[in-house]
Amino acid sequence: MYIVRYMTPDPITVDPSMLLPEARALLNEFNFRHLPVVDINKKLIGILTDRDLRSAYPSSVISESERRLVYERVQETTVSEIMSTECVTLGIDSTLDDALFLFDKHKTGGLPVLEGEQVIGMFSIRDLNAAYKTLFGVGEKGAVLIGLYDDGSQTIMTRLVTLLERERIPFTRVLRIYDREGGDVIYVRINTFKIAVILELFEENGFTVKAG
Amino acid sequence: MESFPPLTLIEDMSYLSHDTGGVGHPENPARLQVIKETLELSSWYSSVALVSPNSAAREDIKRVHGENWLFRFEEAVLRGNTYIDHIDNQVCYDSYNVACLAAGAGITAINLIENGGGKNIFCLVRPPGHHAEHSNPFGFCFFNNCVIAARYWQKHYNKKRVLIFDFDAHHGNGIQSAFEEESGSYYISIHEHPSFSYPGTGYRDENGLGKGKGSILNLPLQPGDGDIKVMDLLDNVIPKKLADWQPDAIIIAAGFDAHCEDHMSGLCFSTDLYYKIGRKMKIWADKYTEGHLLSILEGGYELSVLGLSVESYLRGLTSE
Repeated sequence: MYIVRYMTPDPITVDPSMLLPEARALLNEFNFRHLPVVDINKKLIGILTDRDLRSAYPSSVISESERRLVYERVQETTVSEIMSTECVTLGIDSTLDDALFLFDKHKTGGLPVLEGEQVIGMFSIRDLNAAYKTLFGVGEKGAVLIGLYDDGSQTIMTRLVTLLERERIPFTRVLRIYDREGGDVIYVRINTFKIAVILELFEENGFTVKAG
Repeated sequence: MESFPPLTLIEDMSYLSHDTGGVGHPENPARLQVIKETLELSSWYSSVALVSPNSAAREDIKRVHGENWLFRFEEAVLRGNTYIDHIDNQVCYDSYNVACLAAGAGITAINLIENGGGKNIFCLVRPPGHHAEHSNPFGFCFFNNCVIAARYWQKHYNKKRVLIFDFDAHHGNGIQSAFEEESGSYYISIHEHPSFSYPGTGYRDENGLGKGKGSILNLPLQPGDGDIKVMDLLDNVIPKKLADWQPDAIIIAAGFDAHCEDHMSGLCFSTDLYYKIGRKMKIWADKYTEGHLLSILEGGYELSVLGLSVESYLRGLTSE
């Protein structure tokens, strides 16, 4: 559940004195949206996003002369002049949940990962999607997700897992969802195609299977 | 003018010899027995031609599966293993030979179709095939019977635009993975949404890769969906694709586990829907392939409705 397993390690970083055209070329070439800006010791001092760059470059609707003027100025602008310096970061002990929380709170799409003050990785929303896809087994071949209504009894999880283990039913994930509107549900991802047999087994053992 | 029986059935007693460990396993010999018993009681059965299959040759299977898998499969059964890779995939000593015979049914049918021995052929086989991949068994399937037939049709009769239409409740991951990177072969699947159903593939946006982009049409249904949704797809969605693709050969992966009473899926097809599907398949075949149509049995596990569902489909296939 730690982001270090899922981040892009040793990301491309830029020097604060780099000029904007070069930074833009880097973002375009590697299809990044975020470039950490670091000093000589790899210490994070800012972050440059594709949005920062888009704001710096001239708008396509202004006059040609104005456009040329802005463009010339941009050619000589350094990264340090437009980068964001108030950076939200992740650490080597950050979890996927930490990242999700920060992405949601700060409406950002990519976060530098620091060890001490040094940048050791980048973690993007795309990385988070990929990580949760793996964790939840989405698109995993040979599995099926079955929902069981949670009757609130204190031992329902014990009974469920014991039943699965006793019957030697391979399963990988158990997820308990509290849902006041639709009813509390426990989802279990089972790696078998003997679905009818298993549904019957659940019903026989006092579980109510959720349709869909 | 050539005269064909309205329907040819490819069947063989040997298909009962694939022992999956008793009735606790959904994919068991009683499936074929109950289908056969129901068909024998139907009024049209006397006009059906019955044919025994030949086993698929090794080179026919190797167009779809790796030789490593053939060796692994054969060695596992000879060694007396009771399953391969996953406990679902139960085998017995005869399973390899029976799987070769199941793979051969489509080939036997194609040779009949192409040489004036039948137009509309249903293969009553097991083990099923549509989950089997290049090097792995999945979901009770060992060899991909439909894809092996498709490859044979392409190779020996120069078919350029083979379509497999799959109405089994589960997505045919093995068919998709065989076809998804090439043009000139098409796969349409109606199945329960992969979030709720085995094998967890078949999302709508999986529509082919590289030069196969656009050659796959996945039409997932929500749990509880049935006749109305399916008829809408058959009447309004799929015909547009067929008109684009102009298939020159059609294979139907005919699974019957989407029936309301079959709890292998949450879908709810009526017995009568299979009649309507059968009718539709005949209309497509008349339109695109001079009435030539090959159907191969896939899933269908609830014995109380399986025979009736297959009978209903075959009645639809032969209706005027």
